[in-house]
Amino acid sequence: MNGWTGQILRVDLTAKTWRREAFTEEFAHTWIGGRGFAVKLLYDELRPGIDPLGPENKLVVAVGPISGISAPNTGKTVVAAKSPMTGGYGDGNLGTRVTEKLRKAGYDALIIEGRAEAPTLLYIDDEKVEFLPADEVSGKGTYETNDWIYARYGKGAGVLNIGQAGENLVRYAVIRSMEGRAGGRPGMGAVMGSKLLKAIVVKGSRPIPQAFPAEMKVLGRDDLRAVHALDQKSGWSKQGTTGVLPWCNEVAALPVDNFRRTHHPEAWKVDGERLEAATVAVYGCPNCTMQCGIAMHDDRGRESELDYENMGLLGPNLGIFDIAQVATLNYMCDDYGIDTISGGGVLGFYADAVARGAAPGSLRFGDFKGFEAVLTAIAHRDGEVGGVLAEGTLRAARAFGHDSEEYAMQCKGLEVSAYNCKFIPGMALAFGVSPIGAHHKESWIISYEIQQTPRESYGRDKAQKVVDLQRIRGGLFEAIVSCRFPWIEEGWGLEHYPKYFNAVTGLEWQLEDFWPSSDRIYALIKLFWLREFPDTDRKADYPPHAWFDPANADTEGPIAGKILEYDKYDALLQHYYDIRGYDGRGIPTRETLARLGLAAEARAAEAFAALS
Amino acid sequence: MRITVRVIGGLALRLGFTSQEREVPSGTTAGRLLADLGVGDPQTVITTRNGWGIAPDELLGEGDRILVSPPFSGG
Repeated sequence: MNGWTGQILRVDLTAKTWRREAFTEEFAHTWIGGRGFAVKLLYDELRPGIDPLGPENKLVVAVGPISGISAPNTGKTVVAAKSPMTGGYGDGNLGTRVTEKLRKAGYDALIIEGRAEAPTLLYIDDEKVEFLPADEVSGKGTYETNDWIYARYGKGAGVLNIGQAGENLVRYAVIRSMEGRAGGRPGMGAVMGSKLLKAIVVKGSRPIPQAFPAEMKVLGRDDLRAVHALDQKSGWSKQGTTGVLPWCNEVAALPVDNFRRTHHPEAWKVDGERLEAATVAVYGCPNCTMQCGIAMHDDRGRESELDYENMGLLGPNLGIFDIAQVATLNYMCDDYGIDTISGGGVLGFYADAVARGAAPGSLRFGDFKGFEAVLTAIAHRDGEVGGVLAEGTLRAARAFGHDSEEYAMQCKGLEVSAYNCKFIPGMALAFGVSPIGAHHKESWIISYEIQQTPRESYGRDKAQKVVDLQRIRGGLFEAIVSCRFPWIEEGWGLEHYPKYFNAVTGLEWQLEDFWPSSDRIYALIKLFWLREFPDTDRKADYPPHAWFDPANADTEGPIAGKILEYDKYDALLQHYYDIRGYDGRGIPTRETLARLGLAAEARAAEAFAALS
Repeated sequence: MRITVRVIGGLALRLGFTSQEREVPSGTTAGRLLADLGVGDPQTVITTRNGWGIAPDELLGEGDRILVSPPFSGG
């Protein structure tokens, strides 16, 4: 089977056993890879209702048909499991050498089951699979763990590891790799920790099966050069994603003080221009043409890799406008293995709750030392507050009470990324219908919405755009598994991706041939959620109440006095459901599921909840 | 008319400045301004006026704060 190795490696940490399992060509063509493989495997194999932090949960590491191929930005891997944050399907992607090494070891996916007896390093090297002790780095941060692994296996090895947060089951712990890569926002690091799996190391030596390797080699080489040349011209990687911060501040979309405010006069102190001036190193994923891992020294002289999300949420969202202090909080998150988005969201929520008398403590916005201390407590689950906040914003709000859930900035239990949608209906919808909880990676409609539509509109065009972007970002890129940045940031057209796909698989797919599989993936994720939450309704697709609260409206600036409106949002949501072929609860109808080839999956779901 | 123009991200490298006050004749559109700045196709950038999106054919006004951004797809 060209394009895929055709093999999955299944590992049982409890029994310390493993086996290779073949998958069919039909499976490959139906689910493509990455997120597609992950959701299908998890849907088929996980019993609804299991504890996501128990041994019954499974961690899937999956790559796609163009992953690891020498072509632009193909160094990413998907990690997925039932989410400890949301209780639904959870996944994320990260740049890692595991991508190429796993394929060269002969696998397109890795399924990790059970729970080890002691901290374990899973070592994979072609046919060899070993369960090795990881006691030496148990309790250590991700940087020290990574160095320890490099010292033993070389810097060329593929590595996934977790820090203290994952080991201590902080629900928004991520998986880390290389110098600064992280992925799996909905708690994939906590799932690793629950299995006492400290790290995965992968080596591989075999060629990745390709239909036309010689043609792919030339195509990949030329396109790597071409995208890199585009980046040289655009200058995007000088500031990477942080370049967008002043734009968010200008259009009143920046999270400030737990999203209470949308802009701040001192935001310029933590923007891309300041980061560019302070840059000491730049890192990227394997096969990257436009490296965005821009590092500066934090206030203790450590290299800290910043991007927009962590800059926004660990800076203005906490009332902090000292870029070195932001870099310090970011370094701490990365070393502990805490998701910087949820980390910043949780810290901002806590400061807000303290200010409103809903939570104990004395933390205030702008209190850098205070945030340092709380972050450390979270990573180790120290004390009552550390333990509660390690559960995430929604659970913390329910523990604190006093109506604090109204300003818990989350959807489905996952914290909102750094776009304040107080008056941006389409982007609010994008967060609301993101299939893993609030995440910008699925559909970043905000620039389209501000530039090309009336901002105050709740028109069907915005729902259509959310669907279109989900198909591309959450469907195509997460299934073939490739970084999306060349597409918009460098203008590298989508037509290039079928070329890579066809060169490695020998198929003759056009771009539109990917959309059914993309829709299938989104529909199956919905069924996964339905089985877990049979009583779900459309309210699950609502963004945070704070964006609808008149008392929370800006008092000055571009959107003074403006907020979202529930009835209009609900109508926008209905447009989304209509376009998707979902019912009024937001669940795919039987007809939609049949059209997508999911009749069997629909029958499995109907054992738990009725379909329309 | 006097306006303020700010350019962010990598686009500032290409256009050669990050912020400037600028005198433009009455009747100047956003598209005309972008052309004067050296932006070939206005569809390749994101342009706002005082925090709101502005189309290329819209007229600028006294004291406008224009921000020109390269395309982004999120963090």
